[in-house]
Amino acid sequence: MAVKETAGRKAPAAPKGGGMTLRRRRTLVGLSFITPNFVGFFVLNLIPILFALLLCFNKWDGYNPMKFVGLDNFKYIFTHKVFQQAVIKTVIFTVFSVGITMLLSLGLAVLINQKLKGIGIFRTAIFFPYVASVVAVAAVWQMLFQKDMGLINEILRALGVADPPGWFASTKWALPAVIVVNIWKNMGYYMIIYLAALQDIPTSLVEAGMIDGANAWQRFWRIKWPLLRNATFFVAMMLTINSFKSFDLIYALTEGGPGTATTLLSQYIYNQSFVSWDYGRASAAAMVLFAIVAVITLFQFRLEKKFSE
Amino acid sequence: MKKILALVLAGALCLGLLAGCTSGKPTETDPPAPAKTDPPTTQTDAPDEPQELTGTLKVSMWDLTADAIFSSVIKAFEDANPGVTIEPIDIPSADYGTKLSVMLNGGSDVDVFWVKDADTIYPIANRGQMADMSSYISRDGLDLGIYNGQAEDFNIDGKQIGMPFRTDYYVLFYNKDIFDAAGVDYPSNDMTWAEFEELAKKVTMGEGVDKKYGAFFHTWQACIQNWAVQDGQHTIMATDYSFFKPYYEMVLRMQNDDKTCMDYGTVKTANLHYSGVFSDGSVALMPMGTWFAATMIDKINKGESSVNWGIATLPHPDNVEAGYTVGATTPICINAASPNQDLAWEFVKFVCGAEGAAAVAAQGGVPALLDNDTLKALTSVDGYPEGALEALQVKNIVRDRPVADKVSEVNQMLGEQHSLIMLGESDLDTVLADMGEQSKSIQG
Amino acid sequence: MLNKIPTWRKVLLYAALILICAVTLLPLVWMLSASLKLDKDVFRIPIEWIPSDPAWSNYQRIWEQVPMLRFTFNTFKVTIITTIIQVFTCSFAAYGFAKCQFKGRNLLFLLYVATIAVPWQVYMLPQYTMMNNVFHMVDTHAVLILLHSFDAFGVFLLRQFCMGIPNELLEAARIDGLSEYGIYRRIVLPQMGPSIATLVIFTFVSNWNDFMGPMIYLNSTELKTVQLGIRMFMGQYSTEYGLIMAASVVSLIPVIIVFLIFQKQFVQGIATSGLKG
Repeated sequence: MAVKETAGRKAPAAPKGGGMTLRRRRTLVGLSFITPNFVGFFVLNLIPILFALLLCFNKWDGYNPMKFVGLDNFKYIFTHKVFQQAVIKTVIFTVFSVGITMLLSLGLAVLINQKLKGIGIFRTAIFFPYVASVVAVAAVWQMLFQKDMGLINEILRALGVADPPGWFASTKWALPAVIVVNIWKNMGYYMIIYLAALQDIPTSLVEAGMIDGANAWQRFWRIKWPLLRNATFFVAMMLTINSFKSFDLIYALTEGGPGTATTLLSQYIYNQSFVSWDYGRASAAAMVLFAIVAVITLFQFRLEKKFSE
Repeated sequence: MKKILALVLAGALCLGLLAGCTSGKPTETDPPAPAKTDPPTTQTDAPDEPQELTGTLKVSMWDLTADAIFSSVIKAFEDANPGVTIEPIDIPSADYGTKLSVMLNGGSDVDVFWVKDADTIYPIANRGQMADMSSYISRDGLDLGIYNGQAEDFNIDGKQIGMPFRTDYYVLFYNKDIFDAAGVDYPSNDMTWAEFEELAKKVTMGEGVDKKYGAFFHTWQACIQNWAVQDGQHTIMATDYSFFKPYYEMVLRMQNDDKTCMDYGTVKTANLHYSGVFSDGSVALMPMGTWFAATMIDKINKGESSVNWGIATLPHPDNVEAGYTVGATTPICINAASPNQDLAWEFVKFVCGAEGAAAVAAQGGVPALLDNDTLKALTSVDGYPEGALEALQVKNIVRDRPVADKVSEVNQMLGEQHSLIMLGESDLDTVLADMGEQSKSIQG
Repeated sequence: MLNKIPTWRKVLLYAALILICAVTLLPLVWMLSASLKLDKDVFRIPIEWIPSDPAWSNYQRIWEQVPMLRFTFNTFKVTIITTIIQVFTCSFAAYGFAKCQFKGRNLLFLLYVATIAVPWQVYMLPQYTMMNNVFHMVDTHAVLILLHSFDAFGVFLLRQFCMGIPNELLEAARIDGLSEYGIYRRIVLPQMGPSIATLVIFTFVSNWNDFMGPMIYLNSTELKTVQLGIRMFMGQYSTEYGLIMAASVVSLIPVIIVFLIFQKQFVQGIATSGLKG
């Protein structure tokens, strides 16, 4: 503590070319900022997570001593039909969820970033799906998507669709329906992130744009959009990760069915952990999820770096 | 100045964290370590003399507030043993299996637990988390014969890992009002499934919103697959599921051609609960577990339903006589890691014994210790329809899910496939063949 | 300040907003309506949006049938403490990751982000085992607070916003003689208003609505939270949907209030220009 303190105090006075001491001091100062969070994170989250990921090379029932099995767990899941399908469906689910949610949440954020009377109420209303209880959300959407008397099919019939799909009761249409509900539930959440990011854009820049005679559309793409880079990176990352991990909502809507039509990767992991009691296989499946997300993350990090240069 | 403040803040948080970690230790009531060799001090090994029992037991169950059965057996035990305190761990029923396993795996100090789902029994026993009660049973000279073979279900490799507490089996609930309106005799206690199908046609009436359906099968796979194992010849742990076929054909016929039962897709997507459908009088016949009687009585007492209902014995396949039914027994088990084994056994013995059974029956539940007197007591609970005593007499209860390895996986798979058949998403023969394939690969 | 919005655009805006909110508020309307119904009527189709005979007693029974008041207090306690710890430690770490140069910084940050991608299903058991056997904290509120206070998510969120603060501003402050801690406190924190508001909203909501954590870690009834209380109306054989919805509606109120308070940070035009410094 004392060392860090003096180091910090000297900071402004230190000559620029301090070499080792400067670098070391910077490291210490940097670490001092991170430590309070890192200690908790390391002990409470990182240790169990690393332990869980190491399980992928073992057979473990959760209680008795584990047994090293090499790559057996990976061999099993890669040849398992349900797993293969789950990966494909998760990718489809993620691509659509991420793309559409990003567009909608950005659009909503721009729309709602206004000085209007009662705007707080509108913001709350759009954020509401995110806070609403999953039980209620599932019940409402199941009724809306109901085959014979649901509102959505009534509208489709009125529009001339003779035989509208059965949605949650159809292996083909259950996944699209789940994606719709997922987007609807989460767009308010990402809207808030964009809204906060829009706040950080200096008004002077936008005003400068107005003087230059740029229209609203040009102002947005030329001035605001580049400044939303950090937020976009965050939204893209979190959306990707959360879509890959999606569990509660889908489970409440369809329980992974009909058949295994909406069984995604996280449901598969859940089943391996709490139905089959095979933590090794669950961990192997989680590793696959982790690897996919890691590749996307690295790719996005690259993009972020490229754009910030 | 600011940096000192910031540092102090950071340090305080670190210290706070550490303090939080360490201070957590002594404040808890948990015993310092699961000391198996350390029995409760006041407990003695002299079962012959009536000894005052003392101590505290942690017992896990579900629906403690919603279901009076658990609270009443606990109260009965505490009344009989004032020196013992039962600390209930009440777990949401939908997540009971998950939490129980996490607790047992994570070294929780729960002493006694009920197991909610039959398919989770074997995995827990297999992990060695259920104490063998054989020595207690022989010490106390307990005759397991009184449980009509149910105790043997919980005997795995010679270890008695659980005691039968409560039994539920399928019976046929019917709506007398609809039968009266149709001028048809009430269902008898001896009826085949073919007769059931015919009867459903006779009592289906009306159209649209006011339609009265002859029959109702809830969306669980059990409500069809169970009839295929009812004769005791097969279990769901098969690799050839052709024995499911006649029953799926029957229900699909009723659903799609005769329209005598509600459509699976509608029931599923409209979130219809069997209790709602039956209690508002939309269906005439509903095969359902004995637990539903208590729900029905409760609904009528609360004024939520005015249905005039009755109970008959479950319809049976051609090759067995009436009284063959399907069901499940809820066991109570002792945590193998519990330091209070002796006291835990006393609790288990009590709730599975005559006094426990009486407490269960008084709340409308069917105790596993079921003799004629208990059944009489049960069916004379206020609100039970007349004739219930005869209808509840059974000759044989087949386990819907056997206590065996991989049952939960096979059961899960059967549930997934079930929805494909019922929604007409796949051809019956294809699905049945696929079931066999998947079952083979699961069972290795 | 931006120019005043013309009236025709205002009308159009309001129309669009009302339309959007009609879609997003649908479940709230349904919850309100279901909370005033008997269980048997909740799922009846077509939906009766305004119950003909509202069962107001549902709102009374939720307090009588389970100790909901106690649960509400517990949830407030856990949620507020967690939110405070999270905002402090996360904004601190975010500054470290975004604006302090040191070796291994990016690697450490990547580690944070990577853990977000691990689903809880796989590490829940190891975490529980550790909490039970090492820290002996199962069945305490402390365990919930600790588990949710050091989320990698909060660090990630604030770091992204911190990145946007111009380095020139910080350099200027350094030349003026401010230490890094001084910069954090005097320059960075005031700039992060909207993003901290975002984190407060998210942390509050996720802790308030958390079901799995309390379900796994809490045993004693007197320690339970609102979400566990709501599940008490959901039994093995019967579910009291009217009561569940009534309790859900009540449990939404604090969340909505927190949101309304903190969203005030998002006011177009007040963002101070970073460059003007």
